[in-house]
Amino acid sequence: MARHIHVVKVHHLTLSFPTRKDPNPKPVLDDVDFGIRDGEILGLIGNSGSGKTMTSLAIAGLLPEGARITGGSIKFQGEDLLTMDPKARRKMLGSDIGMIFQEPSTALDPLMKVGKNLDEVLVVHGIKDPKQRRESIIKMMSTVGFVNPEEIYERYPHQLSGGQRQRVLIAGAALLAPKLLICDEPTSSLDTVTTVQILDLLKDLCRKLHMTILFISHDLSAVRNFCDRVMVMKDGKIIDKDTTSDILNNPKNAYTAELLTSARLDPRMLGIERAHVDYSSSPVLTAKGITAGYRDRGFGKSFENKVLKGVDLEIYPHEILGLIGSSGCGKTTLIRSLLGLLPHTGTATVSGKRTGAVFQDPVSCLNPAHTVKWHLNEALRVYEKKLTNEERMAKIIAALEEAGLNEDFLLRKPHQLSGGQRQRVAIAMCLIMNPGLIIADEPFSSLDASSSAEILKLLTDINRERGTSFLLVTHNIHIIRQIAPRVVVMHDGKICESGLTNEVLSNPKAPATIRLLDAETKLHGA
Amino acid sequence: MNKNSVSARSKRFYIIGLILLSVVVIAFLVSLFWTPYDPYTTDAASKLLPPSAAHPFGTDNFGRDVLSRVMCAAKFTVFISVAGVSIALILGTVTGLPAGYFGGLTDRFIMFINNSIMCFPGILLALVAVAVFGASMFNVVWALGLVFAPTYARVYRSGTIEIKEYDYITHARVMGIRPGRIMIMHILPNLVPQLLPATVIGLANMTLFESGMSYLGLGVQPPDASFGKMLAESQAYIRVAPWLVIFPSMMLVFYILGLYFVSEGMRVSFTKGGGS
Repeated sequence: MARHIHVVKVHHLTLSFPTRKDPNPKPVLDDVDFGIRDGEILGLIGNSGSGKTMTSLAIAGLLPEGARITGGSIKFQGEDLLTMDPKARRKMLGSDIGMIFQEPSTALDPLMKVGKNLDEVLVVHGIKDPKQRRESIIKMMSTVGFVNPEEIYERYPHQLSGGQRQRVLIAGAALLAPKLLICDEPTSSLDTVTTVQILDLLKDLCRKLHMTILFISHDLSAVRNFCDRVMVMKDGKIIDKDTTSDILNNPKNAYTAELLTSARLDPRMLGIERAHVDYSSSPVLTAKGITAGYRDRGFGKSFENKVLKGVDLEIYPHEILGLIGSSGCGKTTLIRSLLGLLPHTGTATVSGKRTGAVFQDPVSCLNPAHTVKWHLNEALRVYEKKLTNEERMAKIIAALEEAGLNEDFLLRKPHQLSGGQRQRVAIAMCLIMNPGLIIADEPFSSLDASSSAEILKLLTDINRERGTSFLLVTHNIHIIRQIAPRVVVMHDGKICESGLTNEVLSNPKAPATIRLLDAETKLHGA
Repeated sequence: MNKNSVSARSKRFYIIGLILLSVVVIAFLVSLFWTPYDPYTTDAASKLLPPSAAHPFGTDNFGRDVLSRVMCAAKFTVFISVAGVSIALILGTVTGLPAGYFGGLTDRFIMFINNSIMCFPGILLALVAVAVFGASMFNVVWALGLVFAPTYARVYRSGTIEIKEYDYITHARVMGIRPGRIMIMHILPNLVPQLLPATVIGLANMTLFESGMSYLGLGVQPPDASFGKMLAESQAYIRVAPWLVIFPSMMLVFYILGLYFVSEGMRVSFTKGGGS
């Protein structure tokens, strides 16, 4: 076969979702034109809804029903994919084009052992000898960094962590040594340490197996030390295309520059001002010796699996307290215990006002059956029962406006809102209760750079103007550095280090903190 | 994803279903105010007359007008199915929601009772209840409601177990909203897409049960009519007066088929691409 400079050449591709009512809608992909060079790692960056995923699905031939390609062509090593026979095209998937998705928790069949999950790929692609299949799977599993591939082979997906599952998926995609590997946000649901490991692994595979990678992400910083070239997408168009260093250091396009600024979360650019914290006043929240865990009931024996081992915590008025730690260190369990959602021992005292909560996932944080107005009213009626309708509406509108929305949103349902807007409604629900403390569990991790910058600004404004304290849980150390005066590092169910953010982050003592910071430096640069 | 064909398909189901249903429902509504003849008056002079201009559906072995009888039967059939399903839905709500929401012992206790009811063939249980407490329409309604309740309880329970894990329920708990309100105001509205088709199918199944019981003489009591009862009475005359069988069974088929089509339409339109 003749060697091509471009593994994939997408030529003036236009794609839309025509309906009977509107046969010529605004295209989802508008004249997309690029090539992926042999052996390179090409990054594709853009906010949600910009058409990154559609581009990758078009290449893989997995477009959803209803999508129509109205113009252009996609060539894979010179062959036109769009005019190809569907059977031949299906055969290419897996063996020539591999794909890894965002959510590692749902991509493996929970009823099949890991090995069987991978075995399936080889069976489908016609490798008959079971011994040979097992051998190549074990070999690939050690290539992706499992020290005990034989043991992992026999495990079920739920017995693995998110990072391990993503490794298994990468192994599955790499098994047939595809020429092109499409990674759609493979690290978005992973913590910093694991993200760095996965990126290293992908880079390594790219070299060892001579693969070409199309890497899709909404996080500009993730491409820094990973991609050779980067493309920026907006509204279905590729608006910028350059080498990674040029894009990051010297953006020519205004939108790219804006994305970079949002990703950097520079407090001066965003106009973030810190509130003054008075550490001599009495704390808003005092937690002593919080211990929590899950009880495993086996046959005859019952033992407790402790996730939290005696955590002490104090949050002062006007303070934003950062809580960091890698996945599985017990951050979420701690929050759930503090909110009284989990049975625990130890005491958690909240002085004065109420506690609000903002969760990670903007999709499930609002009830899909109800309007924005209903949500706010529901939050209001818990504490303030004796209000006239006018007073209620006034309070609801005030809270919405404080959260950066307006009256137009009152009658919308969650599916008519974007991720950032939903997160704002969740914040408005907290504000209407006039809380003394808001516990925010990774409020940014599912949002794209622009929205998370806006939400970050909103949170700091609330902190400064209302004096509300925050317990901010995140795996983005960068954010903590910018807005939290004090930080707590958790590891293995215990607090391993705490103190003023500047001191802890510039002179870390605990090994867990050092690991987190190393990963951070590697990912985002110094 | 392909909303066009999905909505066209569900529309077809709705139209066919609603046309079939409207025949029965119109008959039921009109019968409340007017029937061509008194459905209970016997007339020996005009017995077993074939369909004619005076008696469009003919007359039965007592000389009663079959059209009037059918309209009257529609009233009882529709009433029993709607009342029975309402009872089943209410019982299902008060048992299924707490079972799913609280889990643990509550769940085990409630589901033990529900499963015990489901162990027995439904029709048998309903027959026993009616045989013990006497054959009357009231007894048929509550017996069928009780027999159907566990099915709904299961729908509620499984839906609740899924929904209670979402952040918005956690958030409601954090806000300090009482469990009762969370179940009714926060969880229940999200179960409607699953419940509506089940309810409509329930109406159809309830009608089949009722017809079966009336046929066996344990449902609606003479001189009242229901479709099943009319079929049982006309059995002996099937050769001499086939119209006695044809018209009630036609109505029964319209009603049940109509309900199935409507529920299929609901199912198709509710399951299109993620609900948005």
